[in-house]
Amino acid sequence: MSETSLYVLQQLINGLTIGSTYALIAIGYTMVYGIIGMINFAHGEVYMIGSYTTFIAIIGLLTLGVSSLPIVLLLALITAIVIASTYGYAIERVAYRPLRGGPRLIPLITAIGMSIFLQNYIRLAQGSRDMAMPALVTGGIQFGDPAVFEVSISWMQMIIWCVTLVSMTALALFISRSRLGRACRACAQDLKMTNLLGIDTNRIIALTFIIGAALAAVAGVLLSLYYGTINPYIGFMAGLKAFTAAVLGGIGSIPGAMLGGLILGVTEALTAAFFPSEYKDVVAFGLLVLILLFRPTGLLGKPEVEKV
Amino acid sequence: MKPSHGIFARTLIAAGTLLAALHAQAETLKIGIAGPVTGPVAQYGDMQKIGAMMAIDRINAAGGVNGISLEGIIYDDACDPKQAVAVANRIVNDEIRHVIGHLCSSSTEPASDIYEEEGVMMITAASTSPSITEKGYELIFRTIGLDSLQGKLAADHIINRVKPRNLAVIHDKQQYGEGLATTVRDLLAKAGIETVMFEGVTPGDKDFSALIAKLKRNNVDFVYYGGYHPELGLILRQSREKGFDVPFMGPEGVVNADLAAIAGKAMEGVLATAPKSFEQNPENAALVAAFKARDEDPSGPFVFTAYAAVQVLTDAIKATGETDPYTLADQLRANRFDTTIGEIGFDDRGDLTESTFIVYQLHADGSKTPISE
Repeated sequence: MSETSLYVLQQLINGLTIGSTYALIAIGYTMVYGIIGMINFAHGEVYMIGSYTTFIAIIGLLTLGVSSLPIVLLLALITAIVIASTYGYAIERVAYRPLRGGPRLIPLITAIGMSIFLQNYIRLAQGSRDMAMPALVTGGIQFGDPAVFEVSISWMQMIIWCVTLVSMTALALFISRSRLGRACRACAQDLKMTNLLGIDTNRIIALTFIIGAALAAVAGVLLSLYYGTINPYIGFMAGLKAFTAAVLGGIGSIPGAMLGGLILGVTEALTAAFFPSEYKDVVAFGLLVLILLFRPTGLLGKPEVEKV
Repeated sequence: MKPSHGIFARTLIAAGTLLAALHAQAETLKIGIAGPVTGPVAQYGDMQKIGAMMAIDRINAAGGVNGISLEGIIYDDACDPKQAVAVANRIVNDEIRHVIGHLCSSSTEPASDIYEEEGVMMITAASTSPSITEKGYELIFRTIGLDSLQGKLAADHIINRVKPRNLAVIHDKQQYGEGLATTVRDLLAKAGIETVMFEGVTPGDKDFSALIAKLKRNNVDFVYYGGYHPELGLILRQSREKGFDVPFMGPEGVVNADLAAIAGKAMEGVLATAPKSFEQNPENAALVAAFKARDEDPSGPFVFTAYAAVQVLTDAIKATGETDPYTLADQLRANRFDTTIGEIGFDDRGDLTESTFIVYQLHADGSKTPISE
């Protein structure tokens, strides 16, 4: 392979890694929007809380003397999912459910308030400085001619792909095969009618918040291990990027969120590859504007039928 | 510059000094110490205060300057430019002719104008903004290196010691980082070393994999980073992860205990320019003990520079036998002084002729070793 194609391959690998995590977080935005038509701006903070839980769990387990790496990672993952899901459920219960049925603007404002509250709460509880995760998963494989360009894939990148793939497949199976998944789809189609047919829609809405939070926690575990540092402000940018991914793919559509995340990640990596890397956000958000101009519902979104 | 104005002021002041000298024999010489005593950066003001007061006390204990004993008078500008102007006017009204301060560059700038106009000598021990001395003042000096000197020091080190073939300069697009990065790139270009990559990163960003792949592709063998530790720490950590193992160099902004926490083993051997740790100089052991005896902390960056500011002032008074600021200014520019921060001299602008920064090699355990030139 030529030098340029190896280089592009390397950047695609980098882009797919970051894109996978955008997709994981984007699911939370898109599922909630699909069912109750609101944007949960506190979702980025749930990802941040997942990262902090991972950090605390890993440090705790290492201090307790648990030395087996797979066990540490698995326990950290489970802890993060449980804690973040609890937060996801609590946010819905406290900040959104009492306001359901009111004007759309009101839950949007409480979402922003919730986001600011969580960010500052973690900052006060954990301090505002960057916390550094010990490097647990190191190394990787390298291929290509070292004299031309050596492509490297770290084990952590591969873990991110595998975990994302497994989580997404599990989610797709859950939505398409299980009874609860069917109820979710029914709620997305017509909330009032589903309720009339005897399904507890409040329970289903709470469930979507829990699923979204759990996937954000998975992203929190993966990214905190991949990058190695966390601080209370990481939720904002990650949330914004994931929201962009959800809108890009078509908000409300689960496959759209997955596609949007990957496209956004790859676009960023390729922009940084051939232009100064400070332009990557400019191009990523520019792409969003362009797609919305030509396809206002996003790539895989269905046009909303105006009911008279 | 308006020479006629200067001469007029000088004559006036010379006359004043003569009058003062007539009835001020064997009295005290008041030295204003201006800086924040209150406000968010009061701890920096405290460093300046303990340094200057220690110098004054030790000089008095040794018999004063030419029989005159010194008296330090503290003024509080709260690091607020408006209050700094008020303080400067009060110092002039109190007939104080020598000031150690101010501390914050934003306060020092407006105050300098007043001192220069009113014939008061000011030596700042803490303000590093280059623009303060750019106006060509006669009476304004400083005993601390400029931020921009770090760029020159780094460039010299790269030219003489590193000699890279493919150099990359990365910065964080902020005034401090990009300013230094640009200085380094320009100085290297003058020496014939071309920068193959000059790029900014976004502060707060976490993913540098695309940047690192690009560095690898350009066969970069040395990276200068202008910015702070959170981004450099991640760049280092991710570089080593991806098998990109070249030396890095950064400014004082990266020298922080958190860098070791973020980068871990990846930070071993990183080069950085940082101010000399004067309290670790064996020649200052007695002075450090004196601070400890007073239960004061000598490790702050402005303690020894403030001490040195009083030293050069009193040395000049001793040598000339006068306290007139204009005579002293000439004396400061023309001579070299042996101080607690080493042997120093001043250029025409009143800046130090030598850098108070040196190149350190940082280690993964958080320690650093100086690299001698």
